[in-house]
Amino acid sequence: MRQPKIIVVGGGLAGLMATIRVAESGVPVDLFSIVPVKRSHSVCAQGGINAAKNQKGEGDTTAKHFDDTIYGGDFLANQPLVKRMCEAAPGIIDLLDRMGVMFNRTPEGLLDYRRFGGTLYHRTAFAGATTGQQLLYALDEQVRRHEAEGKVHKFESSMFLSAVIDDCGVCRGICAMDLRTMEVKTYAADAVIFATGGIGAIFGRSTNSVVCTGSAQSALLQQGVDYANGEFIQVHPTAIPGEDKLRLMSESARGEGGRVWVPRNPAEKRAPRSIPEGERFYFLEEWYPKYGNLVPRDIATRAIHRIVYQEKLGIDGQAAVYLDVTHIPRETLDRKLEGILEIYEKFLGVDPREEPMKVFPAMHYTMGGVWVNGEDQATNVPGIYAAGECEYQYHGANRLGANSLVSCIFGGGLAGPAAVKYAKSLEKGAEAAASTVFDREKKRQEEKNQALLSQDGTENPMTIWRELGDIMTEHVTVTRINKNLEKADAQIRVLQERAKKMNLSDRTRWSNQTLNFARELENMIILARVVTLGALARNESRGAHYKPDFPERDDANWLKTTRAKWVNSEIRLSYEPVDISQITPRPRRYDAAK
Amino acid sequence: MGDGKQVIVKVKRQAGPKQPARWEEFSLKWRPSMNVIICLRDIAESPVTRDGKKTTPITYDSNCLEEICGSCAMLINGKARMACSALVDQLDQPIRIEPMSKFPLVRDLAVDRQFMFESLKRVKAWIPIDGTYDLGEGPRVSPEIQEQGYPLSNCISCGNCLEVCPQVNEHSQFVGAAIISQVRLFNMHPTGAMNKSERLAAIMGPGGIQDCANAQNCVHACPKNIPLTESIAAVNRDAWKQALLGWLG
Amino acid sequence: MSATETQPDSSYFLRKLHSFTGLLPVGAFLAEHFWSNSAALVSARKYDDVSQDLQTIPFRLIVEWGAIFLPMLFHGGYGVYIWWRGKSNVSAYPWVGNWLYTAQRYTGLIAFAYIGWHLYTERWLTHGRSTYATVAHDMRNPWYLAFFVVGVLASSFHLGVGVWNFLCKWGLAATARAQQAAGRLGAVVGITFSVVGILIILSFRLNWHPFAFYITK
Repeated sequence: MRQPKIIVVGGGLAGLMATIRVAESGVPVDLFSIVPVKRSHSVCAQGGINAAKNQKGEGDTTAKHFDDTIYGGDFLANQPLVKRMCEAAPGIIDLLDRMGVMFNRTPEGLLDYRRFGGTLYHRTAFAGATTGQQLLYALDEQVRRHEAEGKVHKFESSMFLSAVIDDCGVCRGICAMDLRTMEVKTYAADAVIFATGGIGAIFGRSTNSVVCTGSAQSALLQQGVDYANGEFIQVHPTAIPGEDKLRLMSESARGEGGRVWVPRNPAEKRAPRSIPEGERFYFLEEWYPKYGNLVPRDIATRAIHRIVYQEKLGIDGQAAVYLDVTHIPRETLDRKLEGILEIYEKFLGVDPREEPMKVFPAMHYTMGGVWVNGEDQATNVPGIYAAGECEYQYHGANRLGANSLVSCIFGGGLAGPAAVKYAKSLEKGAEAAASTVFDREKKRQEEKNQALLSQDGTENPMTIWRELGDIMTEHVTVTRINKNLEKADAQIRVLQERAKKMNLSDRTRWSNQTLNFARELENMIILARVVTLGALARNESRGAHYKPDFPERDDANWLKTTRAKWVNSEIRLSYEPVDISQITPRPRRYDAAK
Repeated sequence: MGDGKQVIVKVKRQAGPKQPARWEEFSLKWRPSMNVIICLRDIAESPVTRDGKKTTPITYDSNCLEEICGSCAMLINGKARMACSALVDQLDQPIRIEPMSKFPLVRDLAVDRQFMFESLKRVKAWIPIDGTYDLGEGPRVSPEIQEQGYPLSNCISCGNCLEVCPQVNEHSQFVGAAIISQVRLFNMHPTGAMNKSERLAAIMGPGGIQDCANAQNCVHACPKNIPLTESIAAVNRDAWKQALLGWLG
Repeated sequence: MSATETQPDSSYFLRKLHSFTGLLPVGAFLAEHFWSNSAALVSARKYDDVSQDLQTIPFRLIVEWGAIFLPMLFHGGYGVYIWWRGKSNVSAYPWVGNWLYTAQRYTGLIAFAYIGWHLYTERWLTHGRSTYATVAHDMRNPWYLAFFVVGVLASSFHLGVGVWNFLCKWGLAATARAQQAAGRLGAVVGITFSVVGILIILSFRLNWHPFAFYITK
């Protein structure tokens, strides 16, 4: 019998889970990643992972988890698979527990659970405030075990450039660049699973890691793999501003009792701890009495924007509010939140156990992503699968905190076996594909590199990137106004033209990071347009997508999935209905119980 | 404030593993909360040395920029540390930036730390689960064990503990404190303990725990404050018992 | 280097043996040696008596070689190999532990050289029959004296740090607190040996017997 071969691109939670599942089924896997997989962006996830285990006797059920997720996502997610995910979540926690994740424990030795945004239940298992890191390591260790047994082959300094697609439109492998030798090579596979994460870099600064550029998703789009709900971008309410990165302060700070406030008096000059209770404005608790500080992220973010930009109550007139954990006992903080408090302390030199933190919203998560079929993570191109943050299907218009880790592991776990099944069903595998298909793709990519390395332009890629980030952050994040979106798209198109005149200040062929960044930048610009055009077209407000000119959700016209296609080298948007077979949409409000 | 204030940065450049090394000096515009990563990005945007010579952007590893991915370890003013949390205002100038010296150089500040991942393989740093299918809950773990194990599992494989260790050099293949600490972590877990003796045997192999000479630099250099010297002692205790008394049964 | 190693590497046993011999018998012999030589602090006669007792133990050659010379040779010889494999970086990382690490290597070398010379001059050339008078005579040479002082201090320091290292490297002091305590114990050992060693040298050099009043008859 023919031995199939699978490629996984991306070594975060979803990619590693897919890898493990494929290796477990006895099929060899090539795992591609830009960074050693242990350094993937999943390590930045902090607060926890959701599963309705009802371990606090609150009567939590997977049905409630499902309802919270759909409701939190403002009914944009296709429901059947979300339901399956919520049902699978307790089993996923068990699996991670068996893998040795050092979850926090109760005195009885069971997993401890904390509360998170958008739910009234203690549903979030956690390992301190570095849960993503702990989960990623557990999967990384399992993959290393399979690697030691020869089932997995890693390419850990390798950048995906494009899929190899034959004349019948079937994916036969990938084309990738070794980031040391800068050599372009093709790799054959019967199926390819993409788990390439979020797109934070198109916003310049975000809570995302450096590798989260969306370059792979954009490259796939340009090869005919559709991209869905691009306009849905989550802006996290609490991050520390920084020039290189906006560092996340996890929702778990609020889950453990942290409170968000500003002084009632905009001219307040006293130190925060000396301001009496009565003169503090706990605006989330006041505006959303039922959920308080644990409203979903889109709600909290808009509330903070309102406090800062409309009510002019930002601390010292700046774009910042207090996130206060100083009333929580030090011992609890160190046991449950140390990871994030250390980040604050290290980067700002202030101990958040003593002083309230100053935070502000930051681009955080990509709800949209590669279009997949709602069944088994397959995209519209045969042989291409997607899982994790890079696809679109679990979080609708807004993701609930601690749901991303579940969706990564669930999606990856689904994609692996699906890809194997597909690969085994092929009569002729990638080895039967004409070598010209591979040669053609390799040549195309080499020519792109050659052009970039030899052209004499005037533009610096870092400058273009910075400007792209400024445009996107200003116009395409929290508040969206059509004329600004139009302006943004026009500006991005200017950048697209300027990018054709890039001048690489490094033209060598060894570990040339300027070259791969230029390649990524070209893709980022196209994806930025997908986000912007999707936002421009959607004239309603839903979840994280907010237009003051269209402040209400409009189910009659917009209860539909945006699907961006690449037609004649242009982005074309189309729409398809949302599967609402399980829960009938109802108004979403967090000021009262739902 | 601080208008016109400059930051002077000296970077050790090397175009490839076999190329000669040289120093380049840059003068950058100071900004509040500037870190070494921002300096390197500023250089990439305008790769011109202090004396006006055009050069190439600097190759370096970075990813999360919040000290949890372990990518950006380098020598800053002679000390191994993470570039993202190295704040310019806390550093003496000119800031000297060099690649780590104990790992093979790739280019400029980028080095190859594959040795650490290979070592993790050697000591079987994983829990040997039967499979990912549904097998119910994991073993109960007391909060006490969790509180000991969690700090150990925070290791980001940055390599700083190897970089500062006088026992890691061209004469030795010492695996370093991080790996020994992982042996302790997995031996501590109820399921992991089932393979305890294999891990101990591996950590007594060539370049194993015996090469530690108790300089204790590792614990000072660890950006995650992992109690590495406690881990080494704990593994040492288990190791000699197995090696010397194991045959007694 | 395979993933299926089951036996410790020979270097493991050698290192453990090196660590163990440092304490037993080498460290223990050093203690015995300082104790016997303290007899000089009582009187020259007492010293010669003790010396005579030691020179007349049964199986003397076997005991000397098996329990003292060979272990010492191994500890010192393998120690030189360890010294060669380490690469001190105390200028870049001037932490206390790192200073001790570096000093341990150099005091080891000094002690090894000193002990070799000491054995040669006091055991070999005298055929194991050195007396208070011969030692006191040797001490009149200032170079000889200086080397004695340096050697005694280096050996004492090396033993003190060695005690600390031993407790850490055998996992007997496993927590940070226990390791601090082990460090203090090592310091007490090192200082005690240094003080006693210097007193003995002073006794020979100055013909000084502070405990002479113990002799009542």
